[in-house]
Amino acid sequence: MSGVPARRRLRQGASGPGPGAGVDRDPEHTAAVVARIALVATIVVGQLWALTIALNAYFAERMTTVRWLVAFQVVSFLLAFGLWLLAPRDR
Amino acid sequence: MTRPQGDPRWTSQLERIRSDATVTRRDYLRILVTISGGLVVGALAVVAGVFPRRTGTTGAKKVADAIAPGESVAFAYPGPDDRAVAIRLASGVLVAYSSICTHLSCAVLWNREQGELLCPCHDGRFSSSTGEVLAGPPPRPLPVIDLEERPDGIFAVRARVR
Repeated sequence: MSGVPARRRLRQGASGPGPGAGVDRDPEHTAAVVARIALVATIVVGQLWALTIALNAYFAERMTTVRWLVAFQVVSFLLAFGLWLLAPRDR
Repeated sequence: MTRPQGDPRWTSQLERIRSDATVTRRDYLRILVTISGGLVVGALAVVAGVFPRRTGTTGAKKVADAIAPGESVAFAYPGPDDRAVAIRLASGVLVAYSSICTHLSCAVLWNREQGELLCPCHDGRFSSSTGEVLAGPPPRPLPVIDLEERPDGIFAVRARVR
């Protein structure tokens, strides 16, 4: 090491992110957002299922089923929207 | 959700999403909620009847003057592209079904010798008395066409999916 110029040694020592980089500084905030993502993703999966059933029912002329499934879709969206509104802000 | 044009918060959000900036967890949440809204729009489109349905009725349509036992007549109902077949079974009962296979939309043919409706593409077989699947890959029975025998002939009046 003694042959390496002092300026280069300094650069090697200072390269890369500092201590604590990439670590969650607010894990509770992160957990709250991640939990909401998981809930909304589950709601979207339910909506995809409801849409396929609604299409099947529509083609079989079961319009009562279709209307119930549309109501389910609207309620699901309102839930997802509410979760988004309640999520803590990132910045 | 409508936002006023030129709202700096909205514009900066859009700019950030369109650029290569890192997508935050909150962005993921926003994207999921947007997908959720899109699915609601899709469901509303279904209930509004945006997708054409090849069932229902377009009024009575004459199929034939008469059909002898064991004979069949090809016709189109309810639309001009909705192929169908009317059959007078040996028992004298008059039936009609869509002749578009529920597997891959091949033409379904009346097999008089076996008394079945046959799809030659993948050997799908349907009951001539009910339209139910007897064998092969078709996932659903054939749609039924309701017929009426009138003094002036045989008329198709309604198509039904089961």
